[in-house]
Amino acid sequence: MTDQSLSFKPISIEQDAEVLTRPSRSYWEDAWYRLCQNRRALASLFIVIFMVLFAIAGPWVWTKDPAVQNLDQTSVPPWANRAYEIAEPYTPMVSPPPARTSTATNQIDEITVLGEATSIFVRLQWSIVPNASGYQIYRNIVETLPEYPPGVPLARIRGANETFYEDRLDLRPRTYWYSIVPIDDDGEELGPLSTLEVDVAPSTTIDDAEKRGWLDPDKTYQPGDTVYSPFAPLGTDYLGRDLLARLMYGARVSLFIGVIAPFLFVVMGILYGSIAGFIGGNLDAVLMRFADFVVALPFLLFMILFKLAFGVDSESSGIIAMLIALVLLSWPATARLVRGQILQIREEGYVSASRLLGTPTHWLIARHMIPNTLGVILVTFTFAVPSTIFTEAFLSFIGMGVEPPTPSWGSMCNDGRKTMETTPHELIFPAIFISITVLAFNILGDGLRDALDARMRAAE
Amino acid sequence: MTDTIVPPPAPPSEGVATNVIPGSGKQLAWYFLYGTVGLVAIILVLGYLQQEFTVGNINQAAVDYETNSINLVLSEEPPQLDSGTATDSVSGMLLGHVMEGLLRYNANDELIPGIAHDWEVSEQAARFHLREDAFWSDGTPVTAHDFVFAWRRALAVETASQYAFIMYPIKNAEKVNRGELPTEELGVTAVSDYELEIQLERPTPFFASLTAFTTFFPINEAFYKTRGDNYATNAEDLIFNGPFSMVHWAHDASVRLEKNPYYWNKDAVRLDAINFGYILRDSEARLRLFESGAIVFAGIAAENLDKALEKRWLIKEHNSGAVYFTEINHRPERLTANWNLRRALQLVNDPVELVNKVVKIPGFQPGESIFPTWIKGVDGYFRDEYPMKEHVPNPVLAREHLAKAMEELNLTSPPTLTLLSGDNPTSNKQSEYFQAHWRKHLGIEIRIDRQIFKQRLAKMQSGDFDLVLAGWAPDYDDGLTFGDLFASWNENNRGRYVSEYVDKNVRIAQNSTDPRERMEAFNKVQHRIYDDVAIILNYESGSLYVIDERVGGVSRRVIGADPDYAFAYLIDEES
Repeated sequence: MTDQSLSFKPISIEQDAEVLTRPSRSYWEDAWYRLCQNRRALASLFIVIFMVLFAIAGPWVWTKDPAVQNLDQTSVPPWANRAYEIAEPYTPMVSPPPARTSTATNQIDEITVLGEATSIFVRLQWSIVPNASGYQIYRNIVETLPEYPPGVPLARIRGANETFYEDRLDLRPRTYWYSIVPIDDDGEELGPLSTLEVDVAPSTTIDDAEKRGWLDPDKTYQPGDTVYSPFAPLGTDYLGRDLLARLMYGARVSLFIGVIAPFLFVVMGILYGSIAGFIGGNLDAVLMRFADFVVALPFLLFMILFKLAFGVDSESSGIIAMLIALVLLSWPATARLVRGQILQIREEGYVSASRLLGTPTHWLIARHMIPNTLGVILVTFTFAVPSTIFTEAFLSFIGMGVEPPTPSWGSMCNDGRKTMETTPHELIFPAIFISITVLAFNILGDGLRDALDARMRAAE
Repeated sequence: MTDTIVPPPAPPSEGVATNVIPGSGKQLAWYFLYGTVGLVAIILVLGYLQQEFTVGNINQAAVDYETNSINLVLSEEPPQLDSGTATDSVSGMLLGHVMEGLLRYNANDELIPGIAHDWEVSEQAARFHLREDAFWSDGTPVTAHDFVFAWRRALAVETASQYAFIMYPIKNAEKVNRGELPTEELGVTAVSDYELEIQLERPTPFFASLTAFTTFFPINEAFYKTRGDNYATNAEDLIFNGPFSMVHWAHDASVRLEKNPYYWNKDAVRLDAINFGYILRDSEARLRLFESGAIVFAGIAAENLDKALEKRWLIKEHNSGAVYFTEINHRPERLTANWNLRRALQLVNDPVELVNKVVKIPGFQPGESIFPTWIKGVDGYFRDEYPMKEHVPNPVLAREHLAKAMEELNLTSPPTLTLLSGDNPTSNKQSEYFQAHWRKHLGIEIRIDRQIFKQRLAKMQSGDFDLVLAGWAPDYDDGLTFGDLFASWNENNRGRYVSEYVDKNVRIAQNSTDPRERMEAFNKVQHRIYDDVAIILNYESGSLYVIDERVGGVSRRVIGADPDYAFAYLIDEES
């Protein structure tokens, strides 16, 4: 046991006992780092940023007016054909050519389309049934079959020799089935229907195209030329308004209310709650009972009354009224939360220590109270945003929200609901936007709570 | 072979995550089962509670063979069911089922005996012989005194009936209505319990048809006195002499009519009950009820037409005969009192586009005149004999008028106007169309004031609007029902349009018996209303509807209760 190498040696004094291997991080840096670790929250953050850009910058990129109606292109889905052929100006047909007589006594044996069937008009002529006292015309959008009703009764024409009808009612470029049947004096049908399948070509007159703003002012147009109706990437609504433009302006309304209202009521709640919590005593009791009273107000009833009181004369299409009502009714939750936090922190050891060391009140509040409540407040805020967006959509959906023509996602859903079976895109797009935005804000709020909560950190 | 050693069980394969608690799949399955059972239980309990708490089991199926009844929906809550003051079509429809006047209309729109079995109308007087087997639903007989009481009451100044004018053909009616004569001076006398004599102010060839109208319905004086101000506010505060009596009226929810055993012609009434199980303003919701088999009748709006076609429902058309227009407020404090402004609004109005591109329902016709196309003229139809001048939209001229109007009104920019509108999808769509249309062509901003029916009527009455989307359905089969609408004395002239020229011609039409002279007067009225822009015409309405094929005998009519289920019946399932 004389091996010298195993004997103890003094270590050199310069060597550090401990080295900080990671850089020191502030509370906010740490929160940000933890948020970035949360992939769901990060994705939600990007979605939220996208929605904000969509609302603010969107209308600069997609410069279409959301209130401009296009009555030739109502409720068209995104993939609809936009090409229209320019036709001769519309002139009523004064004297249709003579019609021949049917061989059968109770049925029309020939229906013809005079000229071309276009979305401006469809002119029908049929063979005379001499013993009829008139004709009933039907139009269908599914093939007319003998065992089913013949579609919508379009017109009833009096007189056996009146065998001409011009249809101009809401013609869309598609296939129609026209059925005509001779009728007697009482309107009873004499015999079987005769049906003609008609393909309607998309067509417009120069006047109409100009009125709708489809023409390039530098060009001259001839009948037979093709013009294109405005491109609507997400289709149009029931009055032919561009759905994308409406979604952008709707996003402005929804996000404006969704962010400003929570901001205002959170600020109001902080002031109210911190006054109640910091001063305490009787004032606290009185203030919090008032908050309880506000919580007890029925929201919808209050909203309706508030809207009635504001009337239609508000310049802001009902947005300000809704904002004020939301703020007036929603602050107590934040106030309670902040008061609870302040009460708790006031009694903490480090606050007492700080006070004993002579820290002035304002420093106490700025250095200890606010930073320690801010995390909670921020989380409250991020959760308030989606619920307010939802409330706004709900109110607009039931018609208590913004006034027309200002779009909002909720009112667009309400408009789209009516035709959801025939043109579902009018409902689906605004519904998707509401859902995604609300979901993104919720997940983001969740992530923020995890990132900001000091107690969660200890658990790791 | 000796005993082989059984190999130990193979360790879990590498692919299975090691942090799964053994047996957790089983546990999840149990949770799932508990959840499903719980959900089913909740659904069953709720279903039971719903059945238990539904008032009088009002939400029945569309057709109930067991109770011989049908289920329907009302489009609005009736504002009131006082026959003396009712003005709206929902009240009119309900009253037409529970009340009966001297005469009524049959399925072919012909006058048939009602409470009166016989009548004569001469130039100066009318005489009605009442049947002695007509009773009120409390068993007391319907007498001529009930009519005298109801008519005097309708004309009394305190009643403030907006329909009082319809009685003006009766001697002294107008003076009584203005408070210049006591109600006893009204030219109506009960000669006996069952004979009613009416002195006429002027020859009125259509007087008999008037007596089928709501305002002419009788009121039981003794019963009325027991209810006072509460008369007709609830089902209990009314008694009935019509085919049905109202047994239940849950405001804003439902109305139930049951066959009236005291009705004189009860054998012709084949249904035992008519249930209005819902009151829904949304036509889409009404159609959904029809689709689910909850109601027998539903109107079709343009939005639902494609769906109805794809479902291959039997779609019927009815010419409802009403005229729709934008009524303008002529009260002097309003901007719309300015003719140039009104003319500008009128000149850009395009009824053809409105009908073909916005309304999109067959049977509607672009509005040209206050007189609809079905009004009879001297020999044929009035509008064929006296055509209206053609209305050509002219935005350029309209802007000139607007500039003049702004000068006269000292405005620097186009004004903002309030458009009062109903709160239902059709009105919303049309009001938004007008809003965009006037803004595009004239730069006029429109603020839309959406109100439910009751509220809209109240606002129209008090003049709290600039423009209002309104309509007028005929009350009797004569051009005068439209012709006197904008007479200065007519309470339904909500915009308070006053024109001596129109008044003069309405008087001529009222007092003359010469058809040609009357039609000339109507012609002057229709042109003056257009030239003065008293209103802006929109369309003559048609309507599409679907009806359950198991129900027969439902009458649609232009005049009177529409739709009329009073003599409807269920078609046997077997046949």
